[in-house]
Amino acid sequence: MSLGVAQSLSQLLHEAFVSLRTLGKRSILALLGIVIGSSSVVALINIGHNAAEDAAMIFKDMGTDTLVAQFPPKAGSVARMPNSLNLQAVHQAVPGIAHIGAISSFSGPVIFHGRTTNAGLIGSTPGLKDAMRLVLREGRFLSEFDSGETFAVIGDQIAQALSAPGDPLRLGDRVRVNDYLFLIIGILQNQPRSMLIPVQINESLFIPAAGMRRIYSSPQVGSVVLRAAAGQDMERIAADATKALSAQLPEHTVEIQIPQQMIDGMTRQSRTFAYLLLALGAISLVGGGVGVMNVMLMNVSQRRREIGIRMALGARQRDIRNLFLLEAVTLTAVGALCGAVLGMSAAYLYAWLSGWQFSLAVSALPLGVGSTLLVGLFFGIYPAVSASHLQPVEALRDE
Amino acid sequence: MMTDTPTLPGFISLQGIGKSYQLAGQHLSILNDVSLSIARGESCGILGASGSGKSTLLNILGLLDLPDCGAYHFAGHDIFDATADQLAAIRNQQIGFVFQSFNLLPRLSALDNVALPLAYRGVSRQESVARALHMLEQVGLAERAHHRPADLSGGQRQRVAIARALVGAPGVILADEPTGNLDSHTARDIMDLLLALNHEQGVTLIIVTHDAHIAERLNRQVLVRNGVVHEAECV
Repeated sequence: MSLGVAQSLSQLLHEAFVSLRTLGKRSILALLGIVIGSSSVVALINIGHNAAEDAAMIFKDMGTDTLVAQFPPKAGSVARMPNSLNLQAVHQAVPGIAHIGAISSFSGPVIFHGRTTNAGLIGSTPGLKDAMRLVLREGRFLSEFDSGETFAVIGDQIAQALSAPGDPLRLGDRVRVNDYLFLIIGILQNQPRSMLIPVQINESLFIPAAGMRRIYSSPQVGSVVLRAAAGQDMERIAADATKALSAQLPEHTVEIQIPQQMIDGMTRQSRTFAYLLLALGAISLVGGGVGVMNVMLMNVSQRRREIGIRMALGARQRDIRNLFLLEAVTLTAVGALCGAVLGMSAAYLYAWLSGWQFSLAVSALPLGVGSTLLVGLFFGIYPAVSASHLQPVEALRDE
Repeated sequence: MMTDTPTLPGFISLQGIGKSYQLAGQHLSILNDVSLSIARGESCGILGASGSGKSTLLNILGLLDLPDCGAYHFAGHDIFDATADQLAAIRNQQIGFVFQSFNLLPRLSALDNVALPLAYRGVSRQESVARALHMLEQVGLAERAHHRPADLSGGQRQRVAIARALVGAPGVILADEPTGNLDSHTARDIMDLLLALNHEQGVTLIIVTHDAHIAERLNRQVLVRNGVVHEAECV
């Protein structure tokens, strides 16, 4: 005689749904906890992901091969920075450098056809174009032969600010800075802001470093931008460049920040942030899980008689356990799905409010929904097992 | 998945069964040395005043409760040797329960109630619904198949319960005061139905009752008094 009997999955699901439908208000309340928990996990993972994306965006166009050297004076020194540096010597001392350029900056009004705008005036050396990855929309950048000329390369935003409908700023036009007219030989493309470089490229007018004296009596080199050749050890180059620059600047300290270190720091920070958010989501999930357990325990105690009847009709312990476990999991699954939708909407809203680009974190949905289902399973096991351990005669006796 | 039973002395055979409970620190002896044998196809009434232990006897017969001592063979299975899962399977395949208070699941339709025992056998939903509908036809309730128990009268509920007890083609029907909650006219109908099943399909019928008129209509009457069983040929 075969005593092995089994309930088919479709039968089980059918019963779980019938039972949940009739659980009504109570299951909705338990659902609420689960929805909050699962949506916060989904939303928080996604928000953390978008925050990290946003931070990474800052470096994206910059590349990690760029170094910026700055020169704070040594303690007690009042020495000024020179108006030029021997970059050629630095380049020779550190062969790993691909491009090098110096910046001496100043700001002031730029006038074109009676229209005025404020711009950063950047005294540039020719190497700056490649060191800063400047991309020209039209024309060319300043060359070594332009150092004596009143030539200028203009940033995208300034060019637009100085243009008027019907009178755009074009190559060959002249803009006025103080009493000098500068001939526009290049217009830059709009470029994303970089955290690393101390210049707002779009809002700057690049002029030959040697010509800075025309508009400013004592120009000084503010920073040096270096770009390493491919496959170089950045820390080594930074150390070598520091040494080479220090030799020319006895009164100043040379400080070079390595972008990879900054990126690592930011990544660490955003990871900590994400973990924190995840922990918050997990806590609310556990709260939801306790709600599920509460509803299921109540459910079991109200249905003792039904459990007895089912046992009399031939339900095994595991059938009873599965019945209640499936109800708990179905309940949490509905909550998880609602939570996923809600969480995604919340993350989208948050990204929109923060002005970030919304992108879906691959792990958010499976992690959020999966952890919610696990919570349902975990908190459903105790009520289900306690139901299955009832003795049929005791369960039936209950009125 | 019907059982293939070796013929043992008696379809149901109890020897020296005892059952006692611990209640509030007191030792309560419910059944003492009960021996009883019921053959396949018999109809048997279990009579007794309330508190006499007849419900406990029925629970033991129906494998809902285990006796403390003695020997119990049901359709060739030694109950003391069986695991909980095997007991559940025997209940599912061999025993149909009919309760005084019907014990239908209120949230399921009459049809789903009747189909429930088949679900625990792994019968597909489609087939179990078809068989349940057929069984409801037999008890004359086919047109009420989709009603909830709450929408049915007492007599109709008990018919649904009987259909549920029969749907798995059991060897025995155990009925605990099946007419206790019904008016006398409906009670007679239900008894007629149960006896017809006994006569026509050879289902063993065991009815617990305190009503002598019901017991009279059965082959055999067994009297339980103070936890001891007496065979009563004429009540």
